[in-house]
Amino acid sequence: MLEKRLLEEILGIAVSTGADFAEVYCELTRNGRVVLMGGKIETIADNTVSGVGIRAFLGTRTVYGSTSDITREGLIKCARSVAEAMGDKHAPQNVVLTERVFPNIHPVKVVPSTAEMKTKISLLREACTAASEYDERIAQVVGNLLTVDHTIQIANTEGLLTSDRHMRTRMAVNAIASAGGENQSGSASPGRGMGLEVFELFPPKEIGISAAKQAITNLTADYCPAGQMTVAIENGFGGVIFHEACGHSLEATSVGTGRSQMCGKLGQKIANEKVTAIDDGTIPNAWGSVNIDDEGHPTQKNILIENGILKNYMIDRLGSRRMGMPMTGNGRRESYLYEPTSRMTNTYIANGPDKNEDIISSIEYGLYAKSMGGGSVNPLTGAFNFAVNEGYIVRNGKICEAVRGASLVGTGSQILQDIDMVGQNLDTAQGMCGSASGSVPTDVGQPLIRVSKITVGGR
Amino acid sequence: MDFNALKAAIQNAAKKLGVTEYEIYYMSSSDISVDTLNNEISNFSSGLAGGLCLRLVMDGKMGYASTELMEEAEMENLVERAIENAKYTEKEDTVGIFAGSASYEKPNVPDFVPKDAATLKELALATSAAVYAESDAVQNGTSSAAMSSGCVIRLCNSHGLDLETSFGVNAVMAAAVVAKDGEVENNYSVKEMKDGLRPEDVAKEAVSEALAKIGASHVESGKMNVIIDGKQMRAILSVFSSAFSAKSAQMGMSLLAGKENTEIASSIVTISDDPKREGLSIQSYFDAEGVAAYRKNVVENGVLKTLLHNRETAKRAGVETTGNASKGGYSSPVDISPYAFCIEAGAYTEDELFALAGNGVYITEVKGLHAGANAVTGDFSIESAGFVIKDGKKANAVKSFTIAGNFFELLRSITALSNEVKFGVPGGKTTFGSPNVLIKDMSVAGK
Repeated sequence: MLEKRLLEEILGIAVSTGADFAEVYCELTRNGRVVLMGGKIETIADNTVSGVGIRAFLGTRTVYGSTSDITREGLIKCARSVAEAMGDKHAPQNVVLTERVFPNIHPVKVVPSTAEMKTKISLLREACTAASEYDERIAQVVGNLLTVDHTIQIANTEGLLTSDRHMRTRMAVNAIASAGGENQSGSASPGRGMGLEVFELFPPKEIGISAAKQAITNLTADYCPAGQMTVAIENGFGGVIFHEACGHSLEATSVGTGRSQMCGKLGQKIANEKVTAIDDGTIPNAWGSVNIDDEGHPTQKNILIENGILKNYMIDRLGSRRMGMPMTGNGRRESYLYEPTSRMTNTYIANGPDKNEDIISSIEYGLYAKSMGGGSVNPLTGAFNFAVNEGYIVRNGKICEAVRGASLVGTGSQILQDIDMVGQNLDTAQGMCGSASGSVPTDVGQPLIRVSKITVGGR
Repeated sequence: MDFNALKAAIQNAAKKLGVTEYEIYYMSSSDISVDTLNNEISNFSSGLAGGLCLRLVMDGKMGYASTELMEEAEMENLVERAIENAKYTEKEDTVGIFAGSASYEKPNVPDFVPKDAATLKELALATSAAVYAESDAVQNGTSSAAMSSGCVIRLCNSHGLDLETSFGVNAVMAAAVVAKDGEVENNYSVKEMKDGLRPEDVAKEAVSEALAKIGASHVESGKMNVIIDGKQMRAILSVFSSAFSAKSAQMGMSLLAGKENTEIASSIVTISDDPKREGLSIQSYFDAEGVAAYRKNVVENGVLKTLLHNRETAKRAGVETTGNASKGGYSSPVDISPYAFCIEAGAYTEDELFALAGNGVYITEVKGLHAGANAVTGDFSIESAGFVIKDGKKANAVKSFTIAGNFFELLRSITALSNEVKFGVPGGKTTFGSPNVLIKDMSVAGK
């Protein structure tokens, strides 16, 4: 991390040509990856990411420079290039930083970057063996153990100087089932903002079995029929529906530039009254949690939608200037190479009034989406899509045969109104969300919900 | 940073620690971009990044370690980490570090010249102005960008091989937001800055395609003839390109395993991979192991001629490498990727293709491919938008439907191809291309 005096000098240079604010973000990240394939440790790799991003503002105009050259000369050169791109005024400023320490609400017991390699290998092997032994049709198992140990330092011309260290650990198992010239896959990939103690919560054996079971279910499933139907979407990764259908449209990146279907709708009813949605970066050790965001602002719990009424957006520093609203601790980025922008943390639909059994029994004919894959959205129009990894036909209120290859498409504003039943088994699942500031860890979540009508892409 | 000093530091540490076989893969990038929002400059950004990956063989195992800390003191640490990682690796390394190809033929293209900040600013503003001038329907929220992105790769190893290549792309982007008849739509267009490209061309494409979406209705569900535009087909090809990797095949993760010299596609389909494809600005002459890169037909008249190999998969299959070793980033393990992977053009004009389709749907937008398509199974179900094809002609716009099927069945169901390949702006060293493709009886899910 950089010395206070050097940071003050860099910030002074960055604002010396008329900028009204500047910020320095310094990063040192140790990424570790162990890959097990076909029963053998295939690759072990580690990578050190190190660099600095310097940003200056003048109103809502921004200049960003990043460099992996963290020598004094390299940093001053980067700060000068930012200043030159900002303007040609000569307006030197004296920057004085005061160090601030935020509380760590995400304690880690077993730091992954220094844990014994033998321990990591044995955890990964346990998961992959369980997947391979689940069924003889499991033809291949690939396991990844990913660890991140991320230290950041942030300083800005408001005088803030702070740092944070954040860790996360995730195991991803992908199982391939093969029979009769056909392949089907299943996956499970839980993680937390924790060290290796995460596997006390998620026993590796269960991760492996969960992936294998899904692959076998899909191998014996028929293709999903196509058309509009009632769909029950299960908890956990089912929450990707909110993430895609609505979450991205509530980020200041879209709202502050007038590119969101949710612009100007604060206080309006945008969803069924059973829907309350929250973004909360403070959940201890959750996948999308951090103590402070990448602009040095503490994360917080933001109620986005309450009983169907739009209450708030997710706002970073630039969004705050564009929208004239306070920051919400959502300024995030993948690394120093990216300028931060508003991003989700842990976003979920809260438990609702309906019993889960009532949701299924209410469906005469439809789809039960037990496990969801990823998706994407156009925030301007709200048009979204996402994939169903494991689905079942519901007939006369009963879950029947498995179907595969389905996806769901619709528009955010419509589906929010069409979520007409919300269950009570809230759970979250982990994802990597890709957007303008790179790939960041986010949790999605919800209880079992019912969507009265949505287009199911099948054949 | 003095690369030769770092190289010497690694050499010394390797000698000290008893490592005789290693490779240094260094990649540095330099990016600069200027963005506009609402017809004003909103952002300027520039980035310099460099990373180094060390691969070494220790007791018959390959170990990797990478860093962006370009300090001599870090290099010994890097060698130690790679040795430690090799120690716990269980897979036997069968090929080691490559000694070098007999000869290398550098591409015959001009060196990449990055655009300076002033030029990019001018281009971004000109593009933005052109977007606003294109139609009264253009709204705020509209943005544009001009960017220049360059990369240098240097690969040197303990056998004395020392190769270097540099490449880059200058591009202009327009993202238009339009409002008409109470509806709002958007569309973006990105094009490489080449001789003759005018900001107006980018603007026109972004605006006209956004306007065309206004008033889109929903399509009926059912099986129908589908034309997939080349721009969308190349995106679909990119998602399924890993099925052509011999590594995927050997891992049991590709249905093309063992299908060499059998018919896997309609006889009109030829898919080539050319590291020095004419007209493309990014060209490669060696792969990520240092093997000389060359052109090959992967599928020829429907027959799978070869999978894509690196040295390891080739050895296992008992064939020669196809020179397709790749690294996603400097720190990635050696994998396999194509260069310019392309479904070659067919015989028909785009209008003739509409006539051949008769009635059906023309797909001009696909979304969420990362989620809705599975390269292992070949299955896809993807959000689409486009136009109805009626009586052999492009008719009204349609949106929010899916096309679904299996990629390997799709390859067999291609009945006609248009006569122009559409290449995309390269991502890294790989570019995909395809003509418009007519497919019979594809499942469409709408209302």
